[in-house]
Amino acid sequence: MSEKLTQRKAWDIVLDKLTKRSLWMLHYCTGCGAIELPPTMTSRYDMERFGISAMVTPRQADILLITGYLSVKTLQRVILTYEQMQAPKYVIGFGSCTINGGMYWNSYATIKSLDQYLPVELYIAGCMPRPEAIISSFTELIDRIGRGEANSWQDYYDNYDFYKKNQEHVFGEINTYVDIKDDKVKFGI
Amino acid sequence: MSTVLWIIFYPIIAFAIGVILLGYGRKFNARVQRRYGPPIQQVFYDILKLMSKRTNISHGWMHDTALVMLLGGTLLTLYFIPVPGFDFFSGYGDFLVVMYILLIPSLGMALGVGETANPNGSIGISRALQMLAGYDIPFALTFIGMAILAGTTNFSEIIALQQAEGIFGWGLMTNPFLGVAALIALHGMMGEKPFEVMVAPHEIATGPMTEMGGKYLGMMMIQHALNVVIELTIYINLFLGGAANWASYLVKLFVLMTLILSVNALFGRFRVDDAVRFMWKVPLVLAVIGVLIIIL
Amino acid sequence: MLTEPVALMLLLSVAGVVLNIILYRLQSLQMIVSFLVFAAMLALNLQLYGTIGETLVLPVVVFGQAMSFAVSPLAFYFTLMITSITLLTVIFSLESLRGKACTQAYYLWLFLKTFGMLGVVFAADLLTFFLLWELMTWGTFFLMQQTGGESFSPAKKYVVYAVSSSMLLFLGIALIHAWTGSFSFREVAAAFPHMPEGMMLLVVLLMTVGFAVESAMFPLHAWLPESYASTFTSLTSYLSGISTRMGIYGLILLLFGFVGHELADRFQLIGVINLRYIVSIFGALTIIIPTFTALFQHDAKRLVTWHGIGQGGYMILGIFSANALGIAGGIFHIFNYMTYVTLILFSIAAVEYRTGTSNLNKLGGLIKRQPVAFLGLLFGIIGLAGIPPMNGFVSKWFIYKALITEGYPFLAISAIIGTLGTILSVYKLIHNIFLGQLQPEYNEIKEVPFLMQLPIWVLMLAVFATGVFPGPILSLIAEIQSSFGLAPVPYTMTGVDPAAGTLDMLVITTVFIGGLLLAWIVFLLGHKRRHVSQYQNYAAGHFLDESIPYNFNYNFYTGFEHIFNPMKKKVIARTEVAVSSLVEAAGDYLRRIYTGNLATYAMYIMAALVVTSLFLKELI
Repeated sequence: MSEKLTQRKAWDIVLDKLTKRSLWMLHYCTGCGAIELPPTMTSRYDMERFGISAMVTPRQADILLITGYLSVKTLQRVILTYEQMQAPKYVIGFGSCTINGGMYWNSYATIKSLDQYLPVELYIAGCMPRPEAIISSFTELIDRIGRGEANSWQDYYDNYDFYKKNQEHVFGEINTYVDIKDDKVKFGI
Repeated sequence: MSTVLWIIFYPIIAFAIGVILLGYGRKFNARVQRRYGPPIQQVFYDILKLMSKRTNISHGWMHDTALVMLLGGTLLTLYFIPVPGFDFFSGYGDFLVVMYILLIPSLGMALGVGETANPNGSIGISRALQMLAGYDIPFALTFIGMAILAGTTNFSEIIALQQAEGIFGWGLMTNPFLGVAALIALHGMMGEKPFEVMVAPHEIATGPMTEMGGKYLGMMMIQHALNVVIELTIYINLFLGGAANWASYLVKLFVLMTLILSVNALFGRFRVDDAVRFMWKVPLVLAVIGVLIIIL
Repeated sequence: MLTEPVALMLLLSVAGVVLNIILYRLQSLQMIVSFLVFAAMLALNLQLYGTIGETLVLPVVVFGQAMSFAVSPLAFYFTLMITSITLLTVIFSLESLRGKACTQAYYLWLFLKTFGMLGVVFAADLLTFFLLWELMTWGTFFLMQQTGGESFSPAKKYVVYAVSSSMLLFLGIALIHAWTGSFSFREVAAAFPHMPEGMMLLVVLLMTVGFAVESAMFPLHAWLPESYASTFTSLTSYLSGISTRMGIYGLILLLFGFVGHELADRFQLIGVINLRYIVSIFGALTIIIPTFTALFQHDAKRLVTWHGIGQGGYMILGIFSANALGIAGGIFHIFNYMTYVTLILFSIAAVEYRTGTSNLNKLGGLIKRQPVAFLGLLFGIIGLAGIPPMNGFVSKWFIYKALITEGYPFLAISAIIGTLGTILSVYKLIHNIFLGQLQPEYNEIKEVPFLMQLPIWVLMLAVFATGVFPGPILSLIAEIQSSFGLAPVPYTMTGVDPAAGTLDMLVITTVFIGGLLLAWIVFLLGHKRRHVSQYQNYAAGHFLDESIPYNFNYNFYTGFEHIFNPMKKKVIARTEVAVSSLVEAAGDYLRRIYTGNLATYAMYIMAALVVTSLFLKELI
């Protein structure tokens, strides 16, 4: 991490300071926990004051907020969505189920730890985490971007083989029409 | 010399005004919803973030060209609309020209969105074009009325005629029917609620923007900021007596924007055919009455 | 005095007919000969410019009247369009129709039609005009039913319309001859103002309606879309591009050559409403109704042919505007319309050549396979929609400006409504063919061969160049206006004189290019981009592949269909059916006089003899 820090040029530092104030979120809420988002967006907690607003398609989003458990089928969709997002992109795991499977530990159909399949930037622990916890995770993410430390997304390009192996282990081959290794070369990440 | 400086710096000034107007809009909306809202320069952060995205995808050369056409056409329109201190180009193209160069960005965007091969985008464009036919007919009629009233189609002459008689010479005062009709049409032109059928995030995934990310969306936002200034300035020039100096110009911009935002904050969204029907009923009838008053 | 190019051009087109009959079975020879003859005709046409004003009298006497031809500025303008577009059509057909069935007579009818059109345009007396007009309509009929089969029935419909229009023209010409005692244009024009008012009104009405049928003006347009769309696409472009506009030629000749627009204002009906204004209202309806009908077409060719009708309305609005700018705009629009509509239809033909269909619901995404055809269509639709910097904008601007200056807000707004409707339907056209998802069955197709691309490139250049520099064409139009004694349009090389209006296409284009450059720099400021597969696409998390049609093109303007469906009453189609059944019923009654009984016939003869002898004195 410190190696990446020293690589930042002066321009990048300024850019990070400015762009950290604009983060667009795609919330993937097929598990539980979606109910915590409306208070976060509306007048009680108002996440827009940090420049965070909800977006509709993966092309526009910077944050992929995944709430609750992921079944094997929904994980495929999450990966498709994640690969369609434009870097830099940050995955936030919300709730215990994304961390260790939570109450679905014994389920045959859900995955246990999200970071085996996607590079997770932040986890929000709890069942359910309250809006305060979500806001605090957002501010934490903003601080990390400002310091140039939020680089987990690069891990997906660097260690793609690891993620790919884990993904194929649960659901076999999928075709997202995205070539991560080629992207790494093309975009110089 | 000053013309050259204006040509170089005017897009930047207009962009800054547009960004602040949009930020003001978001703040206004937040306050209506009893939120704190983002800082007023938020749109600038958004654009900067989008332009600095590390990866960008495109669906083909027309998708790339479309964005260039979108922004290029908007810059062209910007130059042909006089603002205080700068109406160099209004002698080379009148309002009729502006009305049709305003369509270049729409056409560019429509072509690019078409190439993204996403049905949500195509539906968005289909709705946008239907809305175009909806609001442009009353808007064009109000302009024709103003042109017949003033005896010219040249922007700077229309402004000079209005300013000669003070506040009672404004188009809104001399023919309130046309002024109100054009205001409603302007609301549709700006795509604010209840005429926000083109974007409709909850129905068609933001329509034209569906496949736009990174710098593509960033350029669309830059264009949007410029477009807000263009559309408001057209209305100011035609119906609010143009502006003698920058102070009154900015005041008029913000007052007009507040008016539109207030309506925007109160409404939901029309269905596209209802929006078009509304445009062909209320503003068009008002405009016809206004024109009949002028020619009879 | 003999103007050689005129005689040679007419001779060459007759020679073309003869050669094609001789070479009936040798298709490749036919092609080469036809190409060479048409090229020679274009070369001759360019020489015509020096001979404007000269008259040619042929030693052919019809009804005691020698056929005479003259080169007026208007004739030069039209022949330039006719010969150039025919040559481009022939170049395009060399490749597109090679080896196709039913093409033996293709060039033959093309020559016949060209002969008719050239003759009509050069004609210097009404009789020559009428004879060649008839020949021209027959040429049109034969071209329409080239593909055989289904195209025959719409072509028959055209014949019914064309014959009725010819009858009206014939009656009008007969009335003129009865009054003036001459067919020559010059003498007719001199005698026309002295005609009694009622007779003049009758002549003008007869001839206007006659020409309105050929130019497909609003209530008389129903023959056009079906018949043009069902022939070869290269012919659709030829017919829509120039053939329909012969009606406009007739109207220009009638209005400015004979009547003169001051006289046209004399027919006051109620208050300020005069004949000119009424024709303009029909022009406005011609713009709006067909343009919005085009919106709901599912076939590319039919969509464009409906626009062919609609664009005619602009010409009528311009020509009948009684304003130098407007008249110039109307005449300029004929040229512009010809360039971009031919471009559009050539591009559609290029797509049809590869995919075998012009059905808008079955295509999509072809921009990746046929970029030249896409560019052609793009330039064409920008022209058709009248968006700067293409030429369609310039002529439309003239018309809007003239209508606003003359104080006709509702005619001006109908012209603008037409433009908006055009934008909607041309976007549907380009979207459904070239944008959206590429269908798997068209994955392997290629761009068309060079000979088919060549006319597309030439026309693209023409559409753009005459948009930025309308001056050369406007100078021809100014000459036409002067030749009819009208005020010439105050043009400059790049727009209009600042005293008459505010338009400078060169400045607009330059600023536009500057804006594009600036936008391109902004585009380059961001990081690199990569082109991705159409299947890497947002589908709310669904995996896309070839088996999933993920495209939106059927019923493209759903909202408008909600609005307009209750209005689609098909009044004209139903009127046609009513009229044809009326004719059938009348024919059925008439048929009954042939009873087959000899005694009845004898009685008829007796009755006829009695009647004749009663009026014999008057008859002799």
